Amino acid sequence: MERRNHRGFGNPSGGYPLLFLFSFMGYFRLLWAAVFILVAFGNPAFSQDNGLDPSKPVFKRFAEQVQPLLTRYCVHCHGEDESHADIDFGEISRTGQVADSFEVWKQSLQQIETGTMPPEDQPQPSPEEKEVVYNWYEELISSADPGPAAFQPRRLSVQEFRNTLRSVIGFDLEVAVVEAEQTVTEKSMVVKLLPVDPPGESGFKNDTHRNPLTLVAWDQYGKLVDAALEELFSESRRMMLEKWTGHLSAKGMTSEQAAGMLKAFIEKAWRRPVDTKDFNRRLIRMEASEGQWVDRLKTELKTVLLSPAFLYRGMRMPLQPGKRHPVDNFELAERLSYFVWSDMPDAELFQKALDGALAKPEVLERQLDRMLKSPRARALSEIFALEWLTLDEIEKLSNNPPQMVALKSQPLDFLNYLFRENRPLLEMIDSDVAFANPFTSRFYGNDSKQMKRYVKQRGIEVEIVPNQKIRLVETKERGGILTMPGVLSMNRGPILRGTWVLERILGEELPEPPPNVGNVPGNPKGRELSFRQRFEMHRSKQSCAVCHDRIDPLGFAFEGFNAGGNYVLRDFQPTKKEKKRGVTGKVVDKIDTSGQLPSGEKFNGIVELKTLLTTTQRRKVITHFVEKTMSFALCRKLGLHDQPTVRRIAGQMDRAKGSWRDLFLEIVNSSQFRETRSH
Amino acid sequence: MKIDNHLIGRRAFLRGAGACIPLPLFQLSGSDRKTVRQRPRRFMTLFKPNGVHPPSWNVSGGSEFDFRLSPLMKPFEKHKQDVLILDNIGDFGFSSHASSTRRFLSGHHSNKRSASMDQLIADRIKGDTLHRSLELTTEGLFPNQIGCSYISYDKNGAPIPRESDPQLIFDRLFRNPLSNPTRRKEMKSVLDRVLEDARSLDRKLGGEDRRTLSHFLEVVRESEKRLEGLKENQRQLKLPTMNRPPLAGNLDDQVESMLDMIVLALWTDSTRCVTYMLGNSNSRMIFDFLGIREQHHYLSHFFRNFSRSNLESLLKISRWHMEKFDSLLTRLKSKREGDGTLLDHTLVMYGSGMGHSDNHTVTRIPMVLAGGKGMIRTGRYVRYDKNQELGRLHLALLQKFGVDIDSFARSEEPLPGLEHSDYQPYREREFASFVRADGDKITVQGRIRMSDNLDEAKIFFVDIMGQPSVRVEVGFGDFHRFNLAYHCGTGVILKGTGAKKGSQYIIKKVTEIKSLFGEAPGTLNG
Repeated sequence: MERRNHRGFGNPSGGYPLLFLFSFMGYFRLLWAAVFILVAFGNPAFSQDNGLDPSKPVFKRFAEQVQPLLTRYCVHCHGEDESHADIDFGEISRTGQVADSFEVWKQSLQQIETGTMPPEDQPQPSPEEKEVVYNWYEELISSADPGPAAFQPRRLSVQEFRNTLRSVIGFDLEVAVVEAEQTVTEKSMVVKLLPVDPPGESGFKNDTHRNPLTLVAWDQYGKLVDAALEELFSESRRMMLEKWTGHLSAKGMTSEQAAGMLKAFIEKAWRRPVDTKDFNRRLIRMEASEGQWVDRLKTELKTVLLSPAFLYRGMRMPLQPGKRHPVDNFELAERLSYFVWSDMPDAELFQKALDGALAKPEVLERQLDRMLKSPRARALSEIFALEWLTLDEIEKLSNNPPQMVALKSQPLDFLNYLFRENRPLLEMIDSDVAFANPFTSRFYGNDSKQMKRYVKQRGIEVEIVPNQKIRLVETKERGGILTMPGVLSMNRGPILRGTWVLERILGEELPEPPPNVGNVPGNPKGRELSFRQRFEMHRSKQSCAVCHDRIDPLGFAFEGFNAGGNYVLRDFQPTKKEKKRGVTGKVVDKIDTSGQLPSGEKFNGIVELKTLLTTTQRRKVITHFVEKTMSFALCRKLGLHDQPTVRRIAGQMDRAKGSWRDLFLEIVNSSQFRETRSH
Repeated sequence: MKIDNHLIGRRAFLRGAGACIPLPLFQLSGSDRKTVRQRPRRFMTLFKPNGVHPPSWNVSGGSEFDFRLSPLMKPFEKHKQDVLILDNIGDFGFSSHASSTRRFLSGHHSNKRSASMDQLIADRIKGDTLHRSLELTTEGLFPNQIGCSYISYDKNGAPIPRESDPQLIFDRLFRNPLSNPTRRKEMKSVLDRVLEDARSLDRKLGGEDRRTLSHFLEVVRESEKRLEGLKENQRQLKLPTMNRPPLAGNLDDQVESMLDMIVLALWTDSTRCVTYMLGNSNSRMIFDFLGIREQHHYLSHFFRNFSRSNLESLLKISRWHMEKFDSLLTRLKSKREGDGTLLDHTLVMYGSGMGHSDNHTVTRIPMVLAGGKGMIRTGRYVRYDKNQELGRLHLALLQKFGVDIDSFARSEEPLPGLEHSDYQPYREREFASFVRADGDKITVQGRIRMSDNLDEAKIFFVDIMGQPSVRVEVGFGDFHRFNLAYHCGTGVILKGTGAKKGSQYIIKKVTEIKSLFGEAPGTLNG
């Protein structure tokens, strides 16, 4: 019943939903329950809109060829009665979600390909039968029409809100707190006060579609907007204020100044030109109110910053009902700036939109390059890469902030360099450039001698030290993101390391481990087994092997690195703490670092693994890079209709040895980015 | 109907205050009068990080009613009659920063399962205040030893989050629509406008944007409804044009603003219990606004990192801490309340977790009580015969606030001496004092102390009964060699060369210093 009520919102009469709302207010809780139900169980309007015509032959072929195979080999474990890993093939067929479930097909094919499914002790499909499924999946993808998803307005994420507010008012809203070395402070009032964003379906926090506005967040917006305006109108920000109003005389603000500022402020805060009708209404309201002009203006400005036009993206984008069409220049400018900067467009970008020139490919390209040069593009590493690669896990490694920052800033500085200096995509896997400071220099042997010596100032006991760029000559095994000390330490042991590479680099999805997994067994009586040997015993259990056959052989490539991230196949410099634990730093031999990829390719050690990832596995790795970047740029999970585009861009990047910048440009030029579609 | 005297006083003061912070008015209903007449009692504590430099902090000799303030106490000299200086507090030889901080309000560092004393007091005295207590600080968390960042702990012994921003405290106290009807009205009108505007945004399309907008309106309506449903608070504050504190430019501004907020909070009876840390106990703040570039913790190890300029910097920082205490007392005194001042009805506890900041001893920790009329007797210097558990002081204060408790942390006996002279005072062996000159050779026996002027850390005085003190000026090379500071407050025999100027002997070159009863520097642990 609630579902039907929600569809009622589609009624095109302007006043109706509000009336409806009033009558509904008493049932606020009920409404929440309804929202929950919708989110949890997927109202068709919320579900992926794949744009596929159900009469296409690919669906007929599914029913005729694929469904019988599923029934024969899969459904008794993944059906109505038992739905292992939460997969119910029966339901997918019954409810017509064949196209929406493309990710299930993708994962299933991976499993079939590597032979992990169906399990060994079950009947196996013949090679011809497997071929039927592969071919059908290819047809499914190629029959999808690449293009934009249906339009959804989106609330700004915490980071985006912080940056946008700063860009509008001209200063960051800061908490008064002394930042001493070795302490953790939250300097941003926005970050401090707003509830933390949960990652969206895409895994990124900018995907706020399912993170609805709550009363708590609303209250905090109110406080932040108050604080922002209070400071803007305070004596200390007078210069800033006069940029809006011009010189303010001792008599105070005039009505013209108030009106002028209101207009300019709306344009900036809402990221598009002022709608005259709307503005006039506000002007009349301001004139009709009482008090000093400055106070009347403040009240109006507050409503501007509390408007959905400020708090959300896309609220004022022109839409053509029932059509697919390019977004207007202002929306394009916003999409670009929130992608590259996690911030609103700056004056130049806005001007390009105003001139109507932005949609021209060469203008857009020049703007992208300009924006990548701006320090604000650091957001790509600090937000996009950090969330993708779970780099915030590094924060848990040390409770000594300078030490922690050293470990965390290494991958961030490195990725920042790749993203902004036109470096090839695959340098993320292997590169001869690294960033280090005195806390991390011990990992780089003689290569650290390239660094300028750091001298602590008198009276400074500890402090955060910036990184320096070095070239890897002796410690080549350190190249790329996989073997940075912080990344190695945040994933301790072969299992976590293997899982991380599988999920974050190769883009495979693993189900949650069953609830009853134990620890790796200890040494059996009278036998000295290595961790690896003990684990291999454990892996003989079928329920574990399904995933661990993919994870572990990959993770063992990292056995040359200990928990602290030291490379133990060469003499190394242990820390004081490690020395206390008996770590000598002498080279350890007899370590088995051989392993294999899910595809079956064998390797020995980390260097060989990286070689495979950048050669035979290249397309797979690049495809995942494309998916992640596109998903972040579009602030949503990718759908079937995005797959042809992903494949096209990945192919292009692979052939042309594309750089990160090239990838960003391809995404910016894709129809998903440049167009929209409404119901 | 008789109007309460102190209210007239408050109103009169308000008018006088003019352009300063506009001050609140109490709107009294019948039941309210009673609580006001009963004068709320308040508790407030100010925590100083990184211990002290004992030679400049400790009181040199003196007795309960006849004592001279130490050089570091000079900044709050004008409040001498309103403070009670306690000495020989703390009974640990050595302590980490984290443990000594825990002890500051929890009696003992092992007391980890119960509330700190401020919280017990808050529970007892909170009455119907909107904010049971405020826990404040100036800097961020020190995750390496998290105990360095907290003094207040809840009933489970868990640290209570602190706030550092005076503006946010202002918002919490005075922008709360619960206590501020003007604010409520303002918010209502903004919400009305937001709703009106949002409706005009509706572009008459179906789909997701409609759904999102509806949800937005829903939330705004809900917040408006909540505002309308607010019950008028019994003890309502009228805050017509209260100013939010300005943006803090540096630590000094930040602390001054926060002290304003604290005093305002206590005075408006918004809260009755406040704890404020001037920094984490091992603070590495850099006091650049005092022209200092070294980290505070580094400087606080004044022996390990000895240099004249380091010591001078450390003393500058310590003096600043004392000035903030002075500033707090001055503010509390400036507010009239009934026949006295706000300070009279507030017991202030000022101190640090450790005594000696270089070797981390937790004996003779700085501890000054102020105000608290009727609970303590001020204008005194109380030095106990033995080192006292901090828990005993806490227990005594808890009982004075009426908390029903007979032991706290590990202490079973409340500390005497706070209200009366019912304690065993410290006694030292008597010694004669004299000065003898033989040509330019001068020998002096007496109690040595630092100059009151902390900018001249190289100048000392040896006090002699009935004669002007002998002035000792230490040359650069001898400052460290003889370590006069180590002997401060105790009897020494000192030899050197110099001359008599007027009636005062001045020693320009020290040749020997010997302690009358103690050990030579460097031979004692702590």
